[in-house]
Amino acid sequence: MTALCPSTVDELGAAIAETAATHPRLLITGNGTAEGWGAPARPADATVDTTGLTGVIRYSPADMTIAVRAGTPLAIVQQVVREHGQRVALDPARAAQDATVGGLLATADAGPLRTSHGSLRDLVIGTTVVLADGTTARSGGHVIKNVAGYDLAKLFHGSLGTLGVVAEVVLRLHPAPRAVTTVRVPASAEHGFQVATHLVTSGVEAAALEWCAGPDDRLLVRLEGTPDGVADRVREVSADGATVLTDDEACEEWSAVAATAVGEPGDTVVRFGALPAAGPAALGKIRAFADDLGLGVTISSSVPAGVHTVRVHGGAARAHSHLLAALHDDHHANVTVLRRDGLHTSSAWGPPPSAIRVMRAVKHRFDPTCRFGAGRFDGWLDDEKGLS
Amino acid sequence: MTGDVRAEFVAALGADAVLADPVELRAYECDGLTGFRVVPALVLLPRTAAAVADAVRICARERIPFVARGAGTGLSGGALPVANGVVISLQRLRSIIEVDPVNRRAVVEPGVTNLDISRAAAPHGLYFAPDPSSQQVCTIGGNIAENSGGAHCLKYGFTVHHVLSADVVLPDGTTAVLGADSPHLGGYDLLGAFIGSEGTLGIATRITVKLLPKPAAVRTLVADFPSVEQAGDAVTSIIAAGIVPAAAEMMDAVAIEAVQAALDAGYSRDTAAALIVELDGPQAEVDIQFAEVRQLCQNHGTTNIRVAGDEHERALVWKGRKAAFAAVGRISPDYIVQDGVVPRTLLATALTRIGELAAAAGLRVSNVFHAGDGNLHPLVLYSEAAGELERAEELSRAIAELCVDLGGSLSGEHGIGTDKACSMPRQFSEDDLATMALLRAAYDTDGICNPGKVLPTPRLCGEKPGVHRPHPLEAAGLIERT
Repeated sequence: MTALCPSTVDELGAAIAETAATHPRLLITGNGTAEGWGAPARPADATVDTTGLTGVIRYSPADMTIAVRAGTPLAIVQQVVREHGQRVALDPARAAQDATVGGLLATADAGPLRTSHGSLRDLVIGTTVVLADGTTARSGGHVIKNVAGYDLAKLFHGSLGTLGVVAEVVLRLHPAPRAVTTVRVPASAEHGFQVATHLVTSGVEAAALEWCAGPDDRLLVRLEGTPDGVADRVREVSADGATVLTDDEACEEWSAVAATAVGEPGDTVVRFGALPAAGPAALGKIRAFADDLGLGVTISSSVPAGVHTVRVHGGAARAHSHLLAALHDDHHANVTVLRRDGLHTSSAWGPPPSAIRVMRAVKHRFDPTCRFGAGRFDGWLDDEKGLS
Repeated sequence: MTGDVRAEFVAALGADAVLADPVELRAYECDGLTGFRVVPALVLLPRTAAAVADAVRICARERIPFVARGAGTGLSGGALPVANGVVISLQRLRSIIEVDPVNRRAVVEPGVTNLDISRAAAPHGLYFAPDPSSQQVCTIGGNIAENSGGAHCLKYGFTVHHVLSADVVLPDGTTAVLGADSPHLGGYDLLGAFIGSEGTLGIATRITVKLLPKPAAVRTLVADFPSVEQAGDAVTSIIAAGIVPAAAEMMDAVAIEAVQAALDAGYSRDTAAALIVELDGPQAEVDIQFAEVRQLCQNHGTTNIRVAGDEHERALVWKGRKAAFAAVGRISPDYIVQDGVVPRTLLATALTRIGELAAAAGLRVSNVFHAGDGNLHPLVLYSEAAGELERAEELSRAIAELCVDLGGSLSGEHGIGTDKACSMPRQFSEDDLATMALLRAAYDTDGICNPGKVLPTPRLCGEKPGVHRPHPLEAAGLIERT
């Protein structure tokens, strides 16, 4: 297949404009870490390969902002800013696989730090995007506080490459914590929710509160701050049966959380959102359902946010599809497939959200001929109609 | 507007929800930006979300432009009516539908004031984080429209970070829910795009906001500095030390003088700059970092540090800061509140340039700003009676555009509205603005939802805004501005 491999925003705009007639269908790719997200993309006439669109455009440590080309892996950005004691407060599992900043924005991905810092939606302060006709458009800027104009970055958050190409991203940075400690509390989903709620309301300000299932059920509490402050807060958190983890043990636990979100060949990985208090019951239901179907599940839940990532392994393909359908029944549009190896014929998306008309209208205005990412929102966006 | 349409609004909303009396309509002719005034054809005061949808449906069918309005405290003319259009006031939708302490959220109607959300949450040890200076009166619906920040957004972010979902009436009169029960949902972040759209994409009628637990500890100090530059350097060094203050606010000598004249909030009258730094969080972290902040202020030449000893003293510090704009009214007959942003490291440069622009214009400028994020609120002081309005407006515009030239933004929190729409080409290219217009058209095909705001239009920008003259009734003391 033809690949457009621009190394500048201008080249990107030109390549997209020039191929409008010859290559009407385009698939935007980065380092390929989200190929399994959403529904499968339909065959395209060319790929838009963003991995040549890399590098830091401007880094201002004192302003705590950095502008990068969107094909830059997040891990590289983290390396650059770490030298100044800073970080992008985002820890998605795919970062270890060199996921690009643009790809992470387009997938709305995040990791356990979502509990304290949200996702890229909360960290992006400016973007440059290229639309289907090659138009290059900026929104936001280089300052953290800015309400001038519409925030187009929000539209591209979760767009799965269906609106346009994210070409440049400006991020706000946070100080890297001087000390980090993780405490493990053995806990059922219900108990984990109660402990997490108590910790949130007590004002201990945990950076992450992740409940994990499989093989053991446990709540991981990550505290970040000054060395003395963290030591003091660890004492507040530690209760009966809690273990203060060594750095190696903590690393192992957080790697396991990441492994749940990535999955293994043959697995199905699903992320869904629910009211935080509804989490334990929803997760109990999934585990019971998986038992009945002979499926293995591992779970990682950002408890205060109500965001759950479920890795389904083993069992029959039909059973994976059944489990997904059950999630769609309960959580409707708030279910995203992250890995679909285990699925065969089932639809990746549940019933569309009530705002689907707005989403379609946005798609129609930004990409009227459906050049980008056809199939990704199969069932939600009517991609075929756009080309007729 | 025909009598038939008016009758239809009355039939749908009730006679007491439709204002047509010219004197009553005048109360809605402007928002907090009083230099722009337009009297609408009708003002609608729906009581329910369904009535809002009914009203918008009629507007959509008849192609009548409508402008949503909360408390009317906006400072950019975002709620300026459209001639021959209607104003839809959300003042009667003011129920707090639910406070859910377990999931730490509240469900409210758009006319609920910002502060009332925190009041309702307080018994549970929770609060709503965005705290614009007008929080006693401004509404959550307006906060959503403007993506309001406030003094504490350095650590806690803006309204967009604290809203989970909103039921909205779209400009065609249909309804949709944007957002969900958790931050994870499939598809585009339509709620994120809606928040901060200045009322141009629809009307939020039911809003679910996040509530935060009150921090375990809060410590606040006011440090005096011999110059605004030194205070700015102190802020930069605090942030470089890896400390994220809950707030870092600065006032210059003119603002301090005004605040102390209005209410004695304990600020030193003889200092060039007062820097407020507030830290909050777990007790141990706050204690350690507060000591570091004091040290850093000393390193940068502070002449006096006043630590708020208790909650009362802390409240007084903030009362003074939040009253600064109004207090300036005591030392100048008229003033314009500007709202620009520069990269924090260019604060000193920006202030020097603002000083030069003010000197050239022969006007005084007082600076009050959110020092932590480079959001400046220069107050341009002038006397309308002395014929200085036009010069003041030019100076104010020059300051906003200076911020853009320094790599910042036209607005940090007050919005573009009517006020700055014509300056948008300074910050954005034609393609940028055309792409933003695509988003608007996706929500509002017919261009009836708060038209003329945010994006420049030839009609708006080809003409100079008219200088306000008091209405004869007003001059005679028969009516008052609200």
